[in-house]
Amino acid sequence: MKHRIIFITLSIIMLLCTCITSFADDTVNITFWHGYNEDNGEADLLINTLIPQFEAEHPNIKVTAVSVPYDSFLTKLIAAISAGSAPDLFRSDIIWVPQLAEQGVLLSLDENMPDFEEYKEAVFEGPLSTNYWKGHYYGLPLDTNTKVWLSNSAMYEKAGVPVPTAMTELEETCKAIKASDPNAYLFSADGFYAWNLLPFIWSFGGGITDEEVTTADGYINSPQTVAAYEFIMKLYDEGCISPLIMGDGVDNYSGFAGGLYADISDGPWAYSILNGQFPDFNFEASLFPEGEGGSIQVIGGEDINIIAQTQHKEEALEFMRFLVSKDYQISMMSVGQMPVRNDLADSEEVKNHPYFGIFLEQIATSKARTAHPNWAQIDSVITDAGQLIARKEMSAQQALDDAAAKISELIK
Amino acid sequence: MKRKRIIKQSILTLLLLLGAAEMILPFLYMISTALKGPVYVFEFPPKLIPSDPTLQNFRTALTKNNFGHYFLNSLIISVITVVLILLLGSMMAFSLARFKFRGRNFIYGMVIFFMTMPSMSLIVPQFVMADRLKLVDTLSGLIFMDVAMNLPFSVFLLQGFLADIPREIEEAAKIDGASNTTVFLQIILPICKPALATSAIISFLGVWDEYVWATTITNSPKNWTIPVAIASFQGVHTTNWGLVFAASLIAIIPVLILFISLQKYIIKGMTAGAVKG
Amino acid sequence: MKQLKEKKFPYLFILPGFLFLFVWLILPMLSALNISLRNWNIMPNMPKPWAGLTNYSQILSDSLFWLSLKNTFVYALVTVIGQMILGLLVALLIDNLIFGKVFFRAVYYLPVVTSWVVVSLLFKFLFNSSPSGFINYLLCNVFHIIDQPVSWLTEANTSFAAIDTLGIWKGIGFAMIIFLAALQSIPQDLYESAEIDGGGTIALFRYITLPALVPTIATVSVMLLIGAFQTYVPVAMITKGGPLHRTEMVVSYIYNTAFTNLNFGYSSALSYVFALIVFGLSRLQLRAFGGQKGIAEK
Repeated sequence: MKHRIIFITLSIIMLLCTCITSFADDTVNITFWHGYNEDNGEADLLINTLIPQFEAEHPNIKVTAVSVPYDSFLTKLIAAISAGSAPDLFRSDIIWVPQLAEQGVLLSLDENMPDFEEYKEAVFEGPLSTNYWKGHYYGLPLDTNTKVWLSNSAMYEKAGVPVPTAMTELEETCKAIKASDPNAYLFSADGFYAWNLLPFIWSFGGGITDEEVTTADGYINSPQTVAAYEFIMKLYDEGCISPLIMGDGVDNYSGFAGGLYADISDGPWAYSILNGQFPDFNFEASLFPEGEGGSIQVIGGEDINIIAQTQHKEEALEFMRFLVSKDYQISMMSVGQMPVRNDLADSEEVKNHPYFGIFLEQIATSKARTAHPNWAQIDSVITDAGQLIARKEMSAQQALDDAAAKISELIK
Repeated sequence: MKRKRIIKQSILTLLLLLGAAEMILPFLYMISTALKGPVYVFEFPPKLIPSDPTLQNFRTALTKNNFGHYFLNSLIISVITVVLILLLGSMMAFSLARFKFRGRNFIYGMVIFFMTMPSMSLIVPQFVMADRLKLVDTLSGLIFMDVAMNLPFSVFLLQGFLADIPREIEEAAKIDGASNTTVFLQIILPICKPALATSAIISFLGVWDEYVWATTITNSPKNWTIPVAIASFQGVHTTNWGLVFAASLIAIIPVLILFISLQKYIIKGMTAGAVKG
Repeated sequence: MKQLKEKKFPYLFILPGFLFLFVWLILPMLSALNISLRNWNIMPNMPKPWAGLTNYSQILSDSLFWLSLKNTFVYALVTVIGQMILGLLVALLIDNLIFGKVFFRAVYYLPVVTSWVVVSLLFKFLFNSSPSGFINYLLCNVFHIIDQPVSWLTEANTSFAAIDTLGIWKGIGFAMIIFLAALQSIPQDLYESAEIDGGGTIALFRYITLPALVPTIATVSVMLLIGAFQTYVPVAMITKGGPLHRTEMVVSYIYNTAFTNLNFGYSSALSYVFALIVFGLSRLQLRAFGGQKGIAEK
């Protein structure tokens, strides 16, 4: 009796220990981490249409797609790699690649993919280059994007002014918008991080570092960058930029669609989200307002990378080929993912796409963020500088001189 | 005298009602927001009674976002954890309360110590441990940890309960030749029922609510629990508050049912824990 | 033979539970010490060089740690006192009530059983910094206490106001339940004899109720304090430690050091220091209340 209960207890514990493992026959299971949006059909399309299509073509491969939220993606990925439970391949934000490549966790394609040259030729050069780190290519581009200037049509109509095309027009436009609705803001952004600030910095002719990424001194604290920060702060103080930039308030989409923000700057995904959540809302897109340096936006996008420790290199490569195939790229266009293949650049699908035109035009004058393993830290220096200036705890020059020293240290 | 008492009672009730309103109002606004479409979430002025109520958020939470799956995960984890805690906890408590053996004080001291230690302080080595045992991103990893974190309190509660119960029945049974195991199964467990119920409920609430460990060791949504899922509804681009609160309300339901039906035990457990330490 | 079995029995019954504690609490405690003394690289097969006490000495000059410690102390102080006073007040009111005891007890207890994640998101939403935030609307347009909407969650002080309010709001019920139980265990004849001696309500409270509650106050405050020091979810959900790390708490700092910056060694050193502080404080507090009586007694 006594032994029985102990036996039962121990066997329950044992039972729990034996985690459920699927008995594999000859099919290979590969795991793919992605951050495709759950709320605008991207993830749906991947899981219910595209992966089944791939599995039908490759009966020996089974793909497990894991949706990991963007916010925690990089942390989870690194933790999973350290735990030996990493996915075989994943969809990476283009700015993460240098850090991961530097850590040695990515598979270099030029050494491991026999037909890499063929794919290298097939995709856009800019997005491809985000996979390049210290002499090797660690992935292929999957999609590309940038942001454009989105305007609430009804608010502009009410204010009776045209959508601004230059930085110098913003103040006047703001006055007109506020005249027609004192509670409204001209523009909204959800924080001081680089993704939001760089378009202003670059369009003013400023920058973060030199081309070779050796120093930030003379770049992030250059007169142009300082002027960009001061310009943003002036608009903020005049009530033209919403307080959301400090970190809390009505979120971009609710405020934009709700008639509180006349403009936001956002990427192609905004279309499916806005149309989904606010079906009656009308907005239009134009190029980011031009400054002395031009109309320069940030290039975003995702790459597809394979983890070096994968047990299923061939299968992962095969799935990767599928992800950059013409069919896949065309399908993903329907949910707002911009393709990276040269042979699609002038295709009917792109030309007739309801909203890619303006984004393609903007991409032509867009720039990529600094490729560096410490990018995340550099970004938080940029963010903190914005906070300090907005709180009037430091002058723009002071805060940016400090930032220059910090960033120079980070890239040394 | 009687009139004075009525006045006193009315004042008391009025004061309590005022406070109760503050307890309830946030929940009411949550319900109201869950019934609003995205257009109305940030409308000005905010409305407690939605002008155009819709059940869309509840529908989305239940169908599109795999919420049923997370609900099931939470349920599986909570139930298995509670069963294990009750079994292991009562066994430990029985030994501690009824036997003198070498190491008894050490074990008891350990139980008390881990009961008061901040749970976050060991999360790093616990993560490394889960990693070594290949338990990262598994439900078992969640269950093991939840058992370990909630076991000390249950042992403490059950041990205290047993210590107050006279041993006559057990001793009589032993004279009749019953083994310790028989005593445990046929006498101790039935006697402990109230304490077992309390400890079950408190562990259940703790496990159902657990967020930090769950978010740390799960990656795939298939292993998410309800708190992790709700936290993830705070999107990157935008937070659909209506959806967040619809999901939250669904998550509150089992707790509410448990709470209303077993209020007596919960309160008993909480007070026993506090008055005892 | 039977004697031996009898001796082995308690160990056999302790063993399964002890295994859990051993694997998930005791071993990690030892391993935390090891990790805290190294430059721990989380990548597998990478060297994890011995660092001696450098992780610990780094804490001394880490202004962010001291700021988070200060924040944690302030939060603990404000919320523990708030929960105790309001909890006691509600308990006294309910204790004197004739009708509706069960109803009010349940209502005040509701936030206690609601998940931290849910209430944190709820408060983030209620304290939204825009004019259409519910709290702003109430204070500004309904009660006219402030003229202008407050940017609650973008300033450190007002963020803490929101987080502290949440902490108190969620905990009143817990303190209330325990005080209620303690009040009901005070023998009625004490009051009756005092009333005959002509003691007023305040005197009754001062000379009978309060002294009887001292052990309970001691234990409740220790429990609440330990709870307050562990507060992580509200900060993680509401401010993420921002702006400029000004709302960082020690536990959120420990967590982010480990899982965002992946610096496991330093995070473990922080944990050890913090656990010692909490442990020492709760000992001190019990002593200040005049002994562990409340703990030992029923």
